Amino acid sequence: MTKRSITFYLNGRPVEAYVSPKDTLVDLLRNLDHFGARESCGQGLCGCCTVLVNGTSVSGCLELAELIEGKNLDTIEGLDAGGELSVVQQAFIDAGAFQCGFCTSGFILMVEQLLDENDSPTPDEARDYLSGNLCRCAAYPEILDAVQLAADKRKSLQKEPA
Amino acid sequence: MTYEILKPETLQDAFGLLDTDDPMVRPFSGGTALMLMMKSGIFSPSRLVVLRDIPGLNGIRLEEDGSLWIGALTTLAELEKSDLVAQHAPVVTHALRHLSNRRVRNVARIGGALAHGDPHMDLPPLLSALNAEVIVEGSNQGRRISVQDLVTGYYETSLESNELIVAVRIPSQQSWQSAYRKFTARSADDWPALGVAVSLNASRNEIQDLRLVVGAATERPTRLEQSEGILRQEGRSGLERATEAAMASVEFMDDAHGSSQWKKALLRVELRRAVQEILDRNT
Repeated sequence: MTKRSITFYLNGRPVEAYVSPKDTLVDLLRNLDHFGARESCGQGLCGCCTVLVNGTSVSGCLELAELIEGKNLDTIEGLDAGGELSVVQQAFIDAGAFQCGFCTSGFILMVEQLLDENDSPTPDEARDYLSGNLCRCAAYPEILDAVQLAADKRKSLQKEPA
Repeated sequence: MTYEILKPETLQDAFGLLDTDDPMVRPFSGGTALMLMMKSGIFSPSRLVVLRDIPGLNGIRLEEDGSLWIGALTTLAELEKSDLVAQHAPVVTHALRHLSNRRVRNVARIGGALAHGDPHMDLPPLLSALNAEVIVEGSNQGRRISVQDLVTGYYETSLESNELIVAVRIPSQQSWQSAYRKFTARSADDWPALGVAVSLNASRNEIQDLRLVVGAATERPTRLEQSEGILRQEGRSGLERATEAAMASVEFMDDAHGSSQWKKALLRVELRRAVQEILDRNT
């Protein structure tokens, strides 16, 4: 199969990769040893493959790799780039918001987006926002706790003087 | 078998790439639906013509005649968040909240949602009830097609291979009011087992005129003309008879979302509720 060279930004760093026309973003990431985005349902329903393209959440399993050329692709691997977990990542640990962890990277990226759009989501707003992500361990109550924890923490950090 | 991915930067270039007898050449915008077909092996393209880089097909604006012009590449998320849509076609804003999930809405485009001809969609029956039309351009002369006439059958549309939807136009709704009711067999944001769209011109709380469209239970969005006639003549007192007529006139389709018998029962309930919902707003 003919492969093409593309360049794009992966978690802020320029990357060159060879992709075949059939590759999805999940395939591309696996070839680059990034395993946080996982294909589960393969139909865009479950959210395990969530990644951000130019800052917007998409299902990596439904997006052709070739179309990322020149764009920013952000994944869970970029969240602790400075060696420190993001507020949302830490909140998931503190709330115990997972069992097997398969869905967690997708949930965390969606919660990051949610809190960027709405710094004080109600539980209903969080449920609605996350309704396209599935957790088969059913850690939903703890995930909602994590949203609350992360929202509070992000607000308290904003109030602290720089 | 592999395929080529081409990214034209003008409509003219796109028409050139699409103007072929090869049925495996396809335009590709958001691609969320086509990707499912490709991954499951139902569709094996020879060429994908990616439309995303073509300028002029984005955005939502209010025209002088009060209609909404929506560029074909507008994402469903942009539609959902648009103040203009919320003001002039609130039923669309409302329906989008339960149309698939946020990530799909971030990528899927209104033009593709209509051109795909998939009967299991929310927007085709809804836009049909709003009397919307698509603005089509092609290698030859452009034309306008009502959304109702666009879909001709199961995944079939009246578009030629070298034609593209460039925009959707929703006419000014004036005194018309609309409701869309969707019933899903699984989660709330699933593909509908049945969708019913109703637009009523109910000034003075009497039904002056109306459009009833059922989707998902049928092989294409279907106008319920007989039921419309009954309600036009008899007003709200004819609702029971109109519902019976709808159940008798529609050819229901079995699929993974439910049996035809069940969908028939759903139509009885949801059609009545959709009409009632609008009438109740005015009392």
